[in-house]
Amino acid sequence: MPQVKIVARNFMDMVASLPVMKLDMLYDNSFICEAILRSLPPLAKKYVLQMLYIDIPITAKSMEEWVLPDGFSKHKVAIDRLIQLRVMTETFDRKKEAMYQLNPKFQFNLQKHIVYGGVLPREPMPSNITVRLPSLEELEAYAVEQWECFLLNLISSSEAGKTTNISSSMMKIFQRGLLSQRDDREPPRLTESGFQFLLMDTNAQLWYIIREYITNAEERGVDSADLIAFLLELSFHVTGKAYNTNTITDLQRSIIKDLSDLGLVKLQQGRKESWFIPTKLATNLSISLADTTTRKQGFIVIETNFRLYAYSTSKLHCEILRLFARVEYQLPNLIVGAINKESLYKAFQNGITSEQIVSFLQQNAHPRVAERIPSVPENVTDQIRLWESDLNRVEMTPAHFYDEFPSKDVFEAACDFAREYGGLLWEDSKRMRLVVKADILAEMKEFLRRQKQ
Amino acid sequence: MTPVSSKLYADDVSLLMVLVDTNPYFWSSMKNTAFTFPKFISHVLAFLNSILLLNQMNQVVVIATGYNSCDYVFDSSTSSMQRAECLLEKLEDFVDKDESLSQEDSVDGVGFSLLSGALSMALCYIQRVFRSGPLHPQPRILCLHGSPDGPGQYVAVMNSIFSAQRSMVPIDSCVIGSQHSAFLQQASYITGGVYLKPQVSDGLFQYLSTVFATDLHSRSFLQLPRPVGVDFRASCFCHKNTIDMGFICSVCLSIFCKHHKKCSTCGSNFGEARKQDPSASDQRRTSYGS
Repeated sequence: MPQVKIVARNFMDMVASLPVMKLDMLYDNSFICEAILRSLPPLAKKYVLQMLYIDIPITAKSMEEWVLPDGFSKHKVAIDRLIQLRVMTETFDRKKEAMYQLNPKFQFNLQKHIVYGGVLPREPMPSNITVRLPSLEELEAYAVEQWECFLLNLISSSEAGKTTNISSSMMKIFQRGLLSQRDDREPPRLTESGFQFLLMDTNAQLWYIIREYITNAEERGVDSADLIAFLLELSFHVTGKAYNTNTITDLQRSIIKDLSDLGLVKLQQGRKESWFIPTKLATNLSISLADTTTRKQGFIVIETNFRLYAYSTSKLHCEILRLFARVEYQLPNLIVGAINKESLYKAFQNGITSEQIVSFLQQNAHPRVAERIPSVPENVTDQIRLWESDLNRVEMTPAHFYDEFPSKDVFEAACDFAREYGGLLWEDSKRMRLVVKADILAEMKEFLRRQKQ
Repeated sequence: MTPVSSKLYADDVSLLMVLVDTNPYFWSSMKNTAFTFPKFISHVLAFLNSILLLNQMNQVVVIATGYNSCDYVFDSSTSSMQRAECLLEKLEDFVDKDESLSQEDSVDGVGFSLLSGALSMALCYIQRVFRSGPLHPQPRILCLHGSPDGPGQYVAVMNSIFSAQRSMVPIDSCVIGSQHSAFLQQASYITGGVYLKPQVSDGLFQYLSTVFATDLHSRSFLQLPRPVGVDFRASCFCHKNTIDMGFICSVCLSIFCKHHKKCSTCGSNFGEARKQDPSASDQRRTSYGS
C-alpha cells in the first residue's frame, strides 16, 4: 500500500516546505527537534547523533567515507533529507567543496536533551483536584470510539450512531478528495483514494486528517507553524494524565476542542478547573510522523468457498467489508459475509480495483492464516481478478461518425489525416464511412473545411 | 504482490542490552587516570539517552556486571523509567550489595568481573522478548568491559557466545581497560558484532555514538571498525589456564593442559598416553573459533 508512505512523506515535505524563518522558529522548541529527529531515515538519525558534538563543518568527502559503497544511495537520501529539513546546512569552502554542519539550534536542543533530559511540556495536575480520571483502558476505548465515529461520519455512513461536533464546513474539507458526489440527490460515494484511506492504519489516517487540518489552518487565521508546534508538543504529553486548560493559550484551546472530536484528547470539567487528557492517538502523533511501515494485526479469514469471517467488533470494519462483500450476519465479535459477483461489481463501479481488494485482504489476514502462503486462497484472488477483467471486455471511447463523403479522394485524405493524428478507430472504404476519436474533433473539422474549399 | 510481513516495527527499532562493568577493583585501578567511574557513567548515560531519543520504540536494558554478582539495573520498557538517570539509584544499591557479598580475603590484582553471568542474563532477557510474540525489536548486546578476562569463566562465556550466535544476536564490545580482551574479541568475531578498544577513553561518548549506536539495519551500509586480530586461545578445563597447545577429548572436545586418564567432563577413558611424542595426534591447537 504505497499510499500510506506518500501521506506520511507529504507531512514531512510540508514541514520542509515551510519558509526558512518559520522552520528555524520551530527548532526553538525542543519537542519539535525530537519529533523531527525521530522522523528521519535511520542513517540520517545516525549522522545527527554522530555530529552532535562536532562544532566545525564536516566536508562532504569525509562523510562519504563513513558509508560502504552499497549504501551510497541511502547516504544520499539521508543527506538530502537533512538539508531539506534544515537540520543540516550546506556551505561551500574556498575550493568549492561542500561542507555540512548541524543547525545550531537543533544541535543545542538535542545536546540539552541528552545531557539534562527532556522536561515535560507542562506539569500534570495533582490528583486531588482531578478526582475521577479515566483509566488507560477507558481512555483507549474512548479514543477508538471517537475516531471511529468520526470516520463513519466522514464517509457519511448511515451506521454512524451519533454525529461529531466538528463543523460541517470542516467535515467538507476533510471529505474533499475522499468522497465524490455526482449530483445533490445522490448520496456521496467513496472515491478510489477514499477507499485507500479507509485501508490505511489509524496513524496514517490520523496524519491525513491532521495534514488537511494544518493546510487549512491559514484560512482560519491560524499560523500553521504554531499549529504544527502545538500538535508535536501534544504528542510528548503523558497519556492518561490531566493537564490544566489554563496553561494553554486561547488559540490552543480552540485546537484542543477540535482534537477532542477526533479522539486525540478527552476534555473534562471539574468544579472550578477544566482539563484535557491526551489519549494514545495524541501521543502517537510523532510516531506516525516516521516513515515506517507499521501494521496492525489482521482479522480476516477467507475460505476457498468465498466465505469471509472477520473477527472484529468495529462498525467501521463492517462498513469497509460492505464495500466489496455481502455481509450476512454480525455477531458480537464476528462479521460473517461472502464475496460474490454482485458485491464485487458494486465495488468495481465505485472505482475500487481488484488489486486493492486483494491487497487489503492479504494485509489484514488473521494471524492464523497470515502464516500460510498464500494467505488468501488462490482461487478467490483469481476469481476477483477475473470478475474485474469481465467488466473490461468492452472498452468505451467517445467517438464521432462521418459518412456521405463527396468523393473517394476526400474520404481517403480524411482517413490518412485521422491516422496521422492517431485518432482513426474504424473505416469502411466501400461505403465511405469513418469513425474517429472525439479527441481530434477540432482538428478533423478544420481539415474537412479546408477540403471543401 | 508483496508477501505479508508480520513486522510491526520499523527497520531500525532496537533492543540494546548494555553490560556495564562495575568491578570495584578495576575502577579503583583507574583512579589515577583521567577516566574515572563517574565520568564513565556520565558518558554511558548520555549514550543511553540518545538511543532512547532516536526512536520511541527503542528499548534499553542495563545489566551491571559486578565482582560477585550481576543484576538488571535499568529497563526502559517499564513505564516508571523513561530516562536513563533512573539507573543511578539502582546502580548504587547494586554496588553496595555486590560489595557485601565479597569475602574478606583480598584480591590480588584487579580481579575479574562476572562477564559470563551478565551475558547469560542478557540472553535470557532476549529469549523472553523473542518468545513474547512475533513482533519484537531487533536485539543486540553491548559489553562495556574493563576488567581482564577471567580464565575460570572461559567455558561459560564461550557457551554464551555460541547461544548468542545461534539466536543471531550480535555482541558488540567496547573495551575500556588497558588490555585487549580475548573473550570479547572472540564474542564479537563469532556473533558478527563490533569490537573496539577506544584509543582516547575521554571521548567515550563519541565512540559510542559513532560506532555502537548504529542499528543492525544501518550496519550493512556503514563503515565500522573491522577486527584487526582475534586472540583465539582457549582455557584448559582443568586448571583454567590460557594455553596455546593442549589435549582435546575426542568425544566431547574438552580441553586439558595435561594428559589425563579419563575425561573429567564426559567420563571417556583415554588410551595409553604416548609420552614419547606429546605433540602428536591427541595434542592439538586449542581454539574454538578458528
